[in-house]
Amino acid sequence: MTDREPQTDGRGAPAEAPAEEVAAGRLPAGLPPDANRRLAELEDRPGHKGMFTSDLSVNEFLLIKEVGFHPLGFVMGSSIYHLGIQTRRWSQSQELSKLTEAMYEARQLAMDRMDAEATELGADGVVGVRLDVNYYEWGSDTAEFIAVGTAVKSEDGRSYRNQQGKPFTSDLSGQDFWVLMQTGHVPLGLVMGTCVYHIAHRGVGQTLRNAGRNVELPNFTQALYEARELAMTRMQDEANALGATGIVGVRLEEKSHMWGDHTIEFLSLGTAVADTTVGHTIPQPQTIISLDG
Amino acid sequence: MSVRDEVRQAMGALSGGSAPGGRGATSDLSIDETLLLHSVGWEPVDMVFGVSWWSIPWGVWQWTTGEVQAASAAFAGAVDQAAGLLRGECQKVGGTGVLGVEVSVRVSSHHVAIELAGTAVKRTGRPHEGFEFISDLSARDFVLLTRAGWWPLGLAAGASFVVAPRRTVGQWASQQGQNTELPNLTEALYLAREGAMERMQRAGASMKADGIVAVKLREGRASSNIRVMQFVAIGTGVHLRAGEHQVIAPTMVVPLDERVRQFDVTSLRGSGGR
Repeated sequence: MTDREPQTDGRGAPAEAPAEEVAAGRLPAGLPPDANRRLAELEDRPGHKGMFTSDLSVNEFLLIKEVGFHPLGFVMGSSIYHLGIQTRRWSQSQELSKLTEAMYEARQLAMDRMDAEATELGADGVVGVRLDVNYYEWGSDTAEFIAVGTAVKSEDGRSYRNQQGKPFTSDLSGQDFWVLMQTGHVPLGLVMGTCVYHIAHRGVGQTLRNAGRNVELPNFTQALYEARELAMTRMQDEANALGATGIVGVRLEEKSHMWGDHTIEFLSLGTAVADTTVGHTIPQPQTIISLDG
Repeated sequence: MSVRDEVRQAMGALSGGSAPGGRGATSDLSIDETLLLHSVGWEPVDMVFGVSWWSIPWGVWQWTTGEVQAASAAFAGAVDQAAGLLRGECQKVGGTGVLGVEVSVRVSSHHVAIELAGTAVKRTGRPHEGFEFISDLSARDFVLLTRAGWWPLGLAAGASFVVAPRRTVGQWASQQGQNTELPNLTEALYLAREGAMERMQRAGASMKADGIVAVKLREGRASSNIRVMQFVAIGTGVHLRAGEHQVIAPTMVVPLDERVRQFDVTSLRGSGGR
């Protein structure tokens, strides 16, 4: 998606889009009826004045308005997921593909539901997306994956949906979103890559040989290196699939969740963007000395 | 002095109001915020509070499955009552609205406690106007919002309490070692979140808001039963007062402070209201 022309491929007028999509059965299944009811209350209908809800701060709200978007509603998706078990070899570094798959699938389920809610509202995109993982005392080997954000719609009628026809998602704050739009870029989607990796323990011989010495530990270095590379490559692949020209605001998170010291999830997350205007000049920033403490 | 005397004295001081020649304004606003408010013709009057405790019937946590309606109803009642008290105190001290309201929600086995504390504000030089709003937005947010043509109306809050369903032994056994979603749990918590947000929306609609900004979704455990989860959604209902949204024009700035900060639109505040 390199131009931002209005889309005329039958998706038609924004207000009618969700109804048409529901009729055509194109909405992902599984959005609970209560969610539909809440979203329906947000929309303007004859005899019913809609409203918007948003977890954006006032600053963010005004900046989103300034770039020509209007918030439609706070949207979310979640999935409580039971993580499988995979045996690990004490002395072997390896990716735990079953757990990687679980972390992917559970996040994807949450994000798809958030997308479905945004589509229901006829949104062009979702900004300020946060992905969280919760653990509850009552669930062993289970985790809740949540995606929340604010669905927005362009006020000038242009469609900002990505080439897959879905609302774009972005974990950028309202401020970052504003700056991004000033520079002639549009977000395409939140992209992620994850890799759950088991890092081999050191052998007794190695531990003894290295005792008291300054040495690099090649097996640790290599394992961590490879896991990070795998996560980042997967993220880049997702961005390529969206036809992005770059990924901004990339974060690399490392968490052991509930697997103990030697098993780590490497998660890289960022917003895929497309450069839409050739020869766009970026406004010169003003330098200030603030009087805040 | 006994606690009872102290309370009586405080109540006496409150009912005295901040009449000219009386005590000065009390507020928890920062100097920046106070100056900013003055710059747009408002001033702080006094700190005001509203507290309400509602009881929850005995045994609801233990004997309910799914949503605990009694607790959500108690929450709604407590919020309304606390907001009413806050509004009463604000009117008593001659304020027009309450800004920067801190909302504390405590849920225990037998009660829901809501505490609201904020700063009453009024237009400078106009002593008695009607009551207009309660908001958890800061003075800074208030100035920005009103400059863009929007006006706060009140706190919109909604809560939902749910008892997480148990898995049957058969389900538990079949899921061991598998990667799989747990549909009944997912649905129960999903519905609880949606329920909290829906109630918040209804609260917003009842004050004829055009939208609710700065929504915070809080989650946690309620009661001593670990399976009981609470979801609370709180935001400020806003209304477009000027005919249409007034576009603020931000400028990109690079702060030269030692502390490296991200781009922050609050640095704009000098541009119009100095």
